[in-house]
Amino acid sequence: MIDFLQLTVAGLSQGSVYALLAVGLIATYTVRHVVNIAQGDYATLAGLGSISLVTAGLPLPVAILIALISVTLASVLIERLVISRVKNLTTLVSIILTLGVSTLLQAIMLLIWGAEAKRLPAFPGSDLTLGGVSIRSQELWMLGALVVVGGGVLLFYEKTRWGKALRASAEQPVAARIVGISPAAASVIAFAIAGFVGATAGVVSSPIYLSIWSGGLLLGLKGFVAAVLGGLVSFRAAIVGALLLGIIESYVAGYVASGWKDAVAFFILIIVLIIRPAGLVLRPNAVRV
Amino acid sequence: MHRAQRRLLVPAAVAASIALALTGCGASNFGGDSGGEAASEEGPIKIGAVLDITGVGANLGVPEQNTLNMLAEQLNADGGIDGREVELIIKDNQSTEDGAAKATTQLIENDDVDLIIGSSRTGPSLAMRPLVEAAQVPTISVAANAAIVDGSEWVFKTAQNDLVVLERILDDAASKGYTKIALVRDATGFGEGIADIITELGEERGITLTATEAFEPSATDFTAQMTNIRAADADAVIIWGITPSAGLAQAAYVQLGVNKPVYQSHGVANDAFFEAAGPAADGVIAPMGRLLVADELSDDDPQKPVIDQFIADYSEEFGSSPSSFAGHAYDAWLVGTKALESAGTDPEALRDAIESTTDLVGISGIFTMTPENHSGLTADALIMALAEGGRWTLLEE
Repeated sequence: MIDFLQLTVAGLSQGSVYALLAVGLIATYTVRHVVNIAQGDYATLAGLGSISLVTAGLPLPVAILIALISVTLASVLIERLVISRVKNLTTLVSIILTLGVSTLLQAIMLLIWGAEAKRLPAFPGSDLTLGGVSIRSQELWMLGALVVVGGGVLLFYEKTRWGKALRASAEQPVAARIVGISPAAASVIAFAIAGFVGATAGVVSSPIYLSIWSGGLLLGLKGFVAAVLGGLVSFRAAIVGALLLGIIESYVAGYVASGWKDAVAFFILIIVLIIRPAGLVLRPNAVRV
Repeated sequence: MHRAQRRLLVPAAVAASIALALTGCGASNFGGDSGGEAASEEGPIKIGAVLDITGVGANLGVPEQNTLNMLAEQLNADGGIDGREVELIIKDNQSTEDGAAKATTQLIENDDVDLIIGSSRTGPSLAMRPLVEAAQVPTISVAANAAIVDGSEWVFKTAQNDLVVLERILDDAASKGYTKIALVRDATGFGEGIADIITELGEERGITLTATEAFEPSATDFTAQMTNIRAADADAVIIWGITPSAGLAQAAYVQLGVNKPVYQSHGVANDAFFEAAGPAADGVIAPMGRLLVADELSDDDPQKPVIDQFIADYSEEFGSSPSSFAGHAYDAWLVGTKALESAGTDPEALRDAIESTTDLVGISGIFTMTPENHSGLTADALIMALAEGGRWTLLEE
């Protein structure tokens, strides 16, 4: 029983990272129908950036803040320089484009930070043991980041006028423009949000999972699998899906064989795409604005 | 003026590049043919290296690359080998088997190298083996698994054999009265067969292997493996991997409160281990070469001057201390260039010269190779080291 709970805790904390990335993916998909393959690279970029700033002598919170802002700006820059330039942007084109962006980002990270994995110092707090289950304080930070940042984005999109306006511009661009919503501004805001949540995932997970230039793609794909569970439009379903994915991965590694861990996500993806291509919770046209 | 220059520049550049391409092709075609012997006795001596510079083996490959670059520069500054300059061609296998095979083929076919060094890890080294055996190019691996040189004709290696390392670990375990050992091992070539060796060597020491878990070198979360190890009820645990994964595994081990003594392999013989494991490293025992405990060696240790010189040179050049893996690259270079000095670049003569390496004092130990023994190090090459306060210290035996 203790083992079971231990694996669950590990799965939940790993799942919270997937969830943040899934939130970022859905943020750009709902507004622009862009599947951003570079989403995971935002995480490694923020992780490595904050590590350098800490090494340079900045206090941890300041370093993290600068990294979060920089990656948010980088995401906006990518939107302005690449995404917005393409005339007929379909989802497929966006995948190919952002795969290119991802490869470019990885090359830049390799050149700047080198090939070795690096670690950000752990956030303040002390580890605890509850009934034999050991919980790292950093794992609580990861879950906390999901609640605050992921939950914040969810509320913004679903509850505020601004958030609804963003979605409107995706569903009805012409009508949205008539009532005063600029699609270009909506796109920039969506990419800023994606950059910010991706960067958050990177800095909170770096103290445990380390940051390495090549780590983004797999992370991003795990987030993508979770996002697909929500039909690429439901934040709630994606967050639940991401946590479930983390937990299932952890059980598979513990009870079956650790080699299967990374395969689980893609197995789930295949099954979902065959049985319910629109996601687990929504009917295809269930988005209401 | 500017325009006139540019007008000239473009055709000149095109002509020059065509000329270069032509001569380049011509030379390599010549070299690739069997009639290349006369040509290869002149011009630079070519040494190729295939290393894990990016990917999961980067902690090994990067210091190896540094070391080889430094040594090649030093050698050429001293006039090269027999007055011939040494040209070092380093290729990155990206820590993959097919990357290693591709790089090896390029070195053989395009660069016509006289000697190959690499790879950094067992898997890629095993991928290179059939290629260099077929092309008959003397090759010195810097990876550990004994399978790399088992029955080989053209492949040598400078890292201590995993068999010897496990002997040291199990001897130590037996002397402390441990009878049940659990293993958490790297899932790639480096960890392949380790469980069998422990079972076999353990038998004569009264030690049984009670549980085995595996992890990918790219893994970052080890909760699952360590949860199972915690349930395995062993007297001690062997974590067999390279940094950073072995360091992260160590951190998870302590975090989950398994609370049994840990042995690690020589795959963690660098400072990067402490970066990955943090304070969890304290108390780990690992067999390794003498490099990382150089300041504790006695003055009459024959390796001390060689090691001290290497540390001084490397630290001055790169601003950090060398790892054991840098030492393996140093040894490969030393064995290779000594043989080139005495035998020249004829492949058969070169291989025979490497095979007759005797009492050569290197960083990882004192090498004596024979046609049957292409590894050249005995258990004496290893000391037991204890991780303490973020560094390795010599463990009194």
